[in-house]
Amino acid sequence: MTPGATSGPASGQPEAGHPEPPRQGSQPEPGCDVPLLRLRGVSKSYGAVQANRGVDLTVMPGSIHAILGENGAGKSTLMKMIYGVEAPDAGQIEWNGAPVALTSPSEAGRLGIGMVFQHFSLFDTLTVLENVALVVPGSPRRLAARIATLGRDYGLQVDATEYVGALSVGERQRVEILRCLMQDPRLLILDEPTAVLPPQMVTRLFSTLRVLRDRGVSILFISHKLDEIRELCDAATVLRDGQVTGHADPRDTDTRSLTRMMIGRDLPPALPAEPGGAEGAVQLQLSQLDWTNPDPYAPDLRGIDLKLRGHEIVGIAGISGNGQSELCALISGETRLPTRAAGAIALRGQSVGAMGAAGRRALGLAYVPEERLGHGAVPEMTLWQNALLTAQSRGLTRRGMVDRRAALRFAQDCIAGFDVRTAGPEAEAGSLSGGNLQKFVVGREIMLAPSVLLVEQPTWGVDVAAAAEIRRRLIEMRNAGCAILVISEELDELFEICDRLHVLHDGRLSPSLVTARTTPEEVGEWMIGAGRPDAAPAGKGGGTGPARPGSSGTNADRPDTARPDSARPAPSHPDRSDPAAEGPGAGAASEGSDHAV
Amino acid sequence: MRFELIRRDRASLEMALMAPVLALLAAGLVSWALFAAMGVPAGRALWTIAATPFSTWYDFSEVLVKTAPLLLIAQGLAIGFRARVFNIGAEGQLLIGAICASAIPVLLPSAGSPLLWVAMMALGMVGGAAWAAIAAFWRTRLNANEILVTLMLSLIAAQILTYLLLGPWKDPMGMNFPQTRMFQPGALLPGLLPGTRVNLSLLFGVAATIAAYVFMQRSVTGFRLIVTGTAPRAAGYAGVSAARGVWLSLLISGAAAGLAGAAEVAGPLGQLQRSISQGYGFAAIIVAYLGGLHPVGIAVSSLVMSAIYIGGDNAMVFADLPQSAVLVVQGLLLTFYLIAATFVRYRIAWTGTARA
Amino acid sequence: MTHTRRAFLGTASAAGLAAALPLRASAQDALQIALMVPSPAADVGWSRTLLDGTEAAAGAVGGEVTFLESISEGPDADRIMQRAVSNGARFVILGSFGYMNGGLQLARRFPDVSILHASGYQTAPNFSPFAAKYYQGTYLMGMAAAALSTSGKIGSVSAFAIPELITSINAFVLGAQAVNPEIECSVVWVNSWFDPASEREAAQALISQGCDVLFSNAQDTPSVISVAEEAGVYAFNLNSPMKSYAPEKYLGVVGTDWAPFFTAQAQAHVDGSFEGANHYLGMEDEVVYVSDWTPDIPADIKTRIDQTQAEIVSGAFNPMTGPLTDQSGTVRVEDGVTMTRDEIQAMDWHVAGVTTPLPN
Repeated sequence: MTPGATSGPASGQPEAGHPEPPRQGSQPEPGCDVPLLRLRGVSKSYGAVQANRGVDLTVMPGSIHAILGENGAGKSTLMKMIYGVEAPDAGQIEWNGAPVALTSPSEAGRLGIGMVFQHFSLFDTLTVLENVALVVPGSPRRLAARIATLGRDYGLQVDATEYVGALSVGERQRVEILRCLMQDPRLLILDEPTAVLPPQMVTRLFSTLRVLRDRGVSILFISHKLDEIRELCDAATVLRDGQVTGHADPRDTDTRSLTRMMIGRDLPPALPAEPGGAEGAVQLQLSQLDWTNPDPYAPDLRGIDLKLRGHEIVGIAGISGNGQSELCALISGETRLPTRAAGAIALRGQSVGAMGAAGRRALGLAYVPEERLGHGAVPEMTLWQNALLTAQSRGLTRRGMVDRRAALRFAQDCIAGFDVRTAGPEAEAGSLSGGNLQKFVVGREIMLAPSVLLVEQPTWGVDVAAAAEIRRRLIEMRNAGCAILVISEELDELFEICDRLHVLHDGRLSPSLVTARTTPEEVGEWMIGAGRPDAAPAGKGGGTGPARPGSSGTNADRPDTARPDSARPAPSHPDRSDPAAEGPGAGAASEGSDHAV
Repeated sequence: MRFELIRRDRASLEMALMAPVLALLAAGLVSWALFAAMGVPAGRALWTIAATPFSTWYDFSEVLVKTAPLLLIAQGLAIGFRARVFNIGAEGQLLIGAICASAIPVLLPSAGSPLLWVAMMALGMVGGAAWAAIAAFWRTRLNANEILVTLMLSLIAAQILTYLLLGPWKDPMGMNFPQTRMFQPGALLPGLLPGTRVNLSLLFGVAATIAAYVFMQRSVTGFRLIVTGTAPRAAGYAGVSAARGVWLSLLISGAAAGLAGAAEVAGPLGQLQRSISQGYGFAAIIVAYLGGLHPVGIAVSSLVMSAIYIGGDNAMVFADLPQSAVLVVQGLLLTFYLIAATFVRYRIAWTGTARA
Repeated sequence: MTHTRRAFLGTASAAGLAAALPLRASAQDALQIALMVPSPAADVGWSRTLLDGTEAAAGAVGGEVTFLESISEGPDADRIMQRAVSNGARFVILGSFGYMNGGLQLARRFPDVSILHASGYQTAPNFSPFAAKYYQGTYLMGMAAAALSTSGKIGSVSAFAIPELITSINAFVLGAQAVNPEIECSVVWVNSWFDPASEREAAQALISQGCDVLFSNAQDTPSVISVAEEAGVYAFNLNSPMKSYAPEKYLGVVGTDWAPFFTAQAQAHVDGSFEGANHYLGMEDEVVYVSDWTPDIPADIKTRIDQTQAEIVSGAFNPMTGPLTDQSGTVRVEDGVTMTRDEIQAMDWHVAGVTTPLPN
């Protein structure tokens, strides 16, 4: 049992009475042999990219069916075709045994297919009720009543009169699911629903999904997190490079075989995290950093204290939208503080709060931003020009003119040194795959030999092997004396490489947690704003911030934010000797060790 | 069959070179059909438009006369456009440049220095840059849209010109006609090719082309400007100041337009009058985009554009083509170019109708 | 020196072109006439009357017309008139004052070409400015306007504040004052010969100020006329009748018929007797006429108008006769004195009764 997650009084385990099934009379007979949904040989390509190739998929009634695959394996495209957003180039889709042509989402909706997108399709400036009324017909009074009933039945309580902009991400997800349920779906598609949730809320979502399944709704659950799938799903279809590589019952398939199906080989052996070297000098210090966000829906940063020394990697965990992008912009210099507050940020002993990005780079800061295209790199420019973007100081210019040869050489070194798969330094950055571009950007910033390296989502969208390589490089950098600050949503990753952790929640930073002596559960508590395991949030728990990392979406949960008490000592878990092996998934806490990377 | 546009992995160089050619061919074809339908001898009309600008030395010299201001202004504008700073008001900066340059011969009619024009050119550049600086100021201070500000400033510039011509600067011997006195010889740009109206302003255009090439393709500052335009967040990330880009773009394009205006009054006009520019400030926007915002491309497109103007005028003289038909040809050319330019970064993919 | 060289180049280029393009080879003997105007030739207006006159002249002398429309004043115009001459034109009519400098250069370069230039003031042996005495007609229109105006306010939408147009307005006001001494006139200068949008706006502004007779002064579009019709006020214009645009409220037209003048000049060119002179042409020359009178004019006023017209044609009366006071009240022309032709053609002041000051 994950601490606190579902124990609150308002967490709404669906136990009230005998709620009506979403669609009367449409419940399939148990053991019915006709699949609810069947795909035969479905293919789809975008230009040269074959997103799906000959995909077969069978979803039985009353099943929670996982679609498993790495980033870019073709999961989203497949779901878009099932939901009628895209038309397949070839193949057939059958619904209840009969072929159908899904030409639009409304057509899919009419058949009884609902979809909860990873990036929610709600209007911030409308209330929950108004957002529902945009899609579902009916008088506001009746809609409000149904929202209340369904919310009670399925553990999806939300205040129908609240503005969506004021809701937490968890609550928004509930609104999305509610909105789908109100259209009586037979099949509900959820695209990476746990990516935006802290561990505790994941448990609660799973309860809701099980109740739905028990009432005859089939669920397509898209994820790349094996533990979740093994906990929740009764069938799984694994995709790799757009093709089906296997069908399995995840309940009795071990993680290793699922992994092999997913990435085509065994995982590389984990690189042991060397203990931190001697305590280096403080390279980056944030002292009571306050910043008021011009975006009213995004969090302000309040009283942030952080010390980053040489020879260490410090991680900042937390759900995107809690101030991560704002913090990065403040550290990198893309956002400047007013001169009077400049002292809140010190880089190698110098107050730099009011200094621009170029000045801080000159002091030895390098930065890998989360968004590669358009932020860390210019997609329309070649790799050597992108090298020029931040590496000008590395002798790539001469008397105000670009030294093209030096830039080419630099880019070539980066490509070779970081195994970037590309045609060469003349290739446009936009033509590289996400993972390869990430390797290029990380490589470029590492080649700057910085004293302080700020890395946001270092392995986002990168394949497993490359991710391991990037992590290895970061540890090498640390061992060489660099001070590294990693901001990531992936708890596994932070536990693997970091010496210390902070958690950012609602613009406030938790006290420092020593990785070796904390647990994902404890970090999870900080992620939802609860300082102690016994102060778990109740009804309004859940995550915060917008779904899309880096966007200035909304944030909420301010009323019940538990203030971190910096005096509180980090709870000690001396038995956790191998934090890297710990999965973040709530339900995985007790069995996560086979998910090692 | 349906088709969709697929983004290419990288810009197609072949297509970039082919686009103007294809546009010329397509525009020629459609105009030919159009003229034929109108009952105009289509072949002769098109021949006149396409060939006469190059058929005699006089015509070609007139093409060069027209190329000079277009080239100068377009090179300036293109720098801003690549930084995504849209100076639409080059026409106004040209007028102010012309006015500032004219101040010397108008206010000092007896000044006899043979190099008056040097000071006039300098003053024209300063005037044009200052006029554009107004837009830069409001953009960087209040985030006011520079498209609107520069465009509105053009209207103001035209009113200032009208005021000066009807009032204080009116030629006292000119029977109330809205124009200044003719400038003294020292206030006129030296001719470049004897016997033609080609003057030094063509060299200004050539110099601007070389400078723009070095600046945009080679210099670090130019590289930064392009980054600001293509990926503003990446520019912030690399520590490039967006405000600096706005100032630089507007000052450069304003100075270029101002110089073009000064060269017009000191060149073919020889006086300040209402119709200084023949719409150069706006035509240069088209020239800049036709040239792919690349200095070399602009050198070609300004020549092509001037030739089409001259050819169109000739078609009126020789082929009895109405003025509007000439405008249609120019419009077709631009339309087809923009369509063709799409395929530099995109290609068409035919998709089957197969559906589940 | 430059001139001779340019002349040489011009001829050389013409020869080169003739070799390259066998254009108009059939018409070597016929007189090539080129007409250049700043606005497009609509069905009505200045460009149209010039084109009609030019074609009549061509018909009379057996010539051919090259029509160059919408040529903005400036370097383009200079080039195109040069091109037309290189292409064989020997009789050139320039339909705008802004073509003057280019036309004079052309005249110097090509002594065998005869040029007529509208509205200008410079003369050369083969370069003659010409203008119409619109004021004779606008005086008569003023008389009718005063009789029909109930507000006592009349207005004019005018192109440029050049003497020709100033005189037309002054005569319009003087004619109105002959019927109603208290009448006032407002003027909007749109600074364009051809700008339908500005003309509409200007006309609407005048109507909203209470003007109930409008004078479309040298505007080459029917905009003012049709705005007036919509608003139910009278309007008249110059050059060619526009009654079809205002069937109800068309006051009349001060028309011009250039056919007799152009024909005479073209014939003079053919005969070798063309001389540079300033031609100022009026009703007595059958160039200026008034027609399309509205039937709403009271009979007694109409009678007075007809009498005045007869006196103007016979020379017994000139509208520009003192006493004339300017807007500041200063007497500019003494009682009984008639302004000379040069004075009229250089008139740069408004008579009292015009409420709008001249732009300065």
